Amino acid sequence: MRLHPLTSLAVAGSTAVITTAAASWPLSLAVIAAAVGLSALGGTLRPLLPAAAAVLVPLCLSLLVLHGLFFPEGVSVLAQWGPARVTTEGLSFALQRAAQLSAAVLALLVFSFSVNVPDLVAALPAKGIQGRVAFVLASTLTLMPAAASRLQRIRQAQEARGLVIRRGLLHRMAAFRLQAVPLVSALVEEAGTRGSALDARGFGSTGPRTSYREVPDRPLERLLRTFLLLAAVVAVAARLWQAGG
Amino acid sequence: MHPSTALSAGIRSFTFHEEDSPVLRDVDLSFAPGTLTVILGGSGSGKSTLGRLLAGWLSPGTRGSLHGHLELAGTRLHFNGSADDPRINPAQWGVQVGFVPQDASSALSTVRATVAEELAFGLENAGVDRAAMKAAVKRTADLLGLNRLLDRHPGTLSGGQLRRLAIGCAVIAEPAVLVLDEPLASLDAAGTDELAFLLRRLLAGGTAVVVLSQAIDGALLEADWWIVLDGGTVTASGTPEDLHAAPECLPAAIRRPGPEPKSRMPARGSATWGAQAAAEPILELRGVAFGYHGNPGRGRKAKAATRGASGHELNTVLLGIDLVLLPGEIVAVTGANGAGKSTLLRHLNGLLRPTSGSVLLNGKDIARVPVGEVAASVGLLFQNPRDQLFERTAAREVRFGLDRRFGADEAADRTAAALAAVGLAEAAHGHPAELPASGQRLLALATVLARRPAVLALDEPTVALDGNGLAVLDTAVRSAAAAGAAVVLVTHDVPYARSVADRLLALDGGRLLGN
Repeated sequence: MRLHPLTSLAVAGSTAVITTAAASWPLSLAVIAAAVGLSALGGTLRPLLPAAAAVLVPLCLSLLVLHGLFFPEGVSVLAQWGPARVTTEGLSFALQRAAQLSAAVLALLVFSFSVNVPDLVAALPAKGIQGRVAFVLASTLTLMPAAASRLQRIRQAQEARGLVIRRGLLHRMAAFRLQAVPLVSALVEEAGTRGSALDARGFGSTGPRTSYREVPDRPLERLLRTFLLLAAVVAVAARLWQAGG
Repeated sequence: MHPSTALSAGIRSFTFHEEDSPVLRDVDLSFAPGTLTVILGGSGSGKSTLGRLLAGWLSPGTRGSLHGHLELAGTRLHFNGSADDPRINPAQWGVQVGFVPQDASSALSTVRATVAEELAFGLENAGVDRAAMKAAVKRTADLLGLNRLLDRHPGTLSGGQLRRLAIGCAVIAEPAVLVLDEPLASLDAAGTDELAFLLRRLLAGGTAVVVLSQAIDGALLEADWWIVLDGGTVTASGTPEDLHAAPECLPAAIRRPGPEPKSRMPARGSATWGAQAAAEPILELRGVAFGYHGNPGRGRKAKAATRGASGHELNTVLLGIDLVLLPGEIVAVTGANGAGKSTLLRHLNGLLRPTSGSVLLNGKDIARVPVGEVAASVGLLFQNPRDQLFERTAAREVRFGLDRRFGADEAADRTAAALAAVGLAEAAHGHPAELPASGQRLLALATVLARRPAVLALDEPTVALDGNGLAVLDTAVRSAAAAGAAVVLVTHDVPYARSVADRLLALDGGRLLGN
């Protein structure tokens, strides 16, 4: 069974919100496990892990430094260097925050790596998101692959003119310096030429639109989306009430 | 409503806002339903501007000022370059006038995942219901022979297929007028026949077809009317027979069929040939085979579109290619669109690596040599100049990488010499994207010539060149060979290949066949 893209978005979004609001160890760990499991089942683990690492490693490290070393409420001191104190409470708080954050980020990443972009693009106008907004969303989702393929072409053109790129991430990053400006100007130029084509094909018109692609949406899924949205609202409200009380 | 005219224009002048002199002046045209009009002109004659203006892609007032009138479906719009001028609604104009730009891929939305959805994009925007869209997609696919490609991702189509898709997008709403900018460029003989057949069907259905071209091709001889554009104005018009009878009316920049440009270099005698045969090969391909993995597209979007359908099987393109290149020889490889010509050429500098077999440069296998190092000896002209050009000015483009290899002084000399060799010395500080298509092609050629490589690998070098550009290319190829470089060119342009090459090979079914 294939879920409507908005249903998967609602699942990912509400999971992220509820885990953040709940701030519960077991829930965060369960969500992390579920996200990794789902991604493995869907065969998207290979692109997911580096992306997750790129986002989470710096964030989690900064949480550890911030709360692990400087946690005012900390009592049980494990080590101390001047004003910096490693406390059990601080470490536990940092780990909990890191787990919460990882759960939310993984849930959203699993969605973004598994969603069928064409389905999502087709589903947006049907839900009242019209014209330019839908196109901006669609081009944002398709921009990465387009930019990646343009980048590859620029790199090939430069290699064909004697730019030596050796294997390895560092060499590639050093070479990227030469490709960044051409990439941006190529993307801007392409956007300019595409503008007239889109206008001539009626893309700027304000009237109603239809969609060629059929994206089935079951009543049960609509119900599920409403429920998930409400659950997220309730979780945030409960958290605020708890904090206030 | 004037039944005998689908579209007409009386352009006193059209000037781009950033320019002082008009790019078009005194151009009067009218296109009747069911007729084929060919507008002939060299690179920079104002052809593409005229095409975009007629098609509503260039709205008067926004990027330039128009004095004159445009008349579509019986409604005449007068322009006098003022703020009160009427505004063209590109969407409404586009329903009546379809346009296929020179770079067909720029007409596509890029946000649709299949050929069928790309065809339907314009109908979706007009709010056409799904049943009618399905019928229109089917009808258009039948007309253009796109039936088997409907579920493919547009990013995976070949150049010829992409052009057919762009034409499909332009005609799906059944416009009264269809304007095609250089539709024949890069099409092989079969592709040209297909296009001619398609045009005949559109003409029979009452569409007024306008073709902008810098080359006289057999398919254009069937036209009802030829118009010659030179320096932004109409210099001659008449039936193809009339203009054929008066060849002085056709500027040299317009390429003609028949014998290709005469050699400006002395023909090499058999003595030289004998000397070459004894020489060591510069480049050698031994049993080179290559296949693409199942999903040729990149990125998640492409993968999603091809996943399942093609799996991960290897689509074999080359099967055991053997080729020996000697200094000073010119080898032409011909083949149909999609035969794998570009794939073969990309093996010469290592941009693609063979799945089996080896490529030897001066007797050494390049398997472990980075492309950038091979590039010192092998210069590759890409099929599409847009893939080759990335800098901000023509001079920077040619100079890229030269400083490091030759030092600043020699780099400057080589840059100036290469730009002069292709006739672009004046344009040195202009942006490459602002050059006409022929100029972009020549600039890409200059980037290769500036390095004076031992092997010149040219991918469809004649495409987009006008008559003058072709003469520049021809001189460059022959001079390079005379100076001892080996030249390999892959092309669908058999007459040109025959006129220039010492050896003519055909790539068919993944194998190289000698003629």
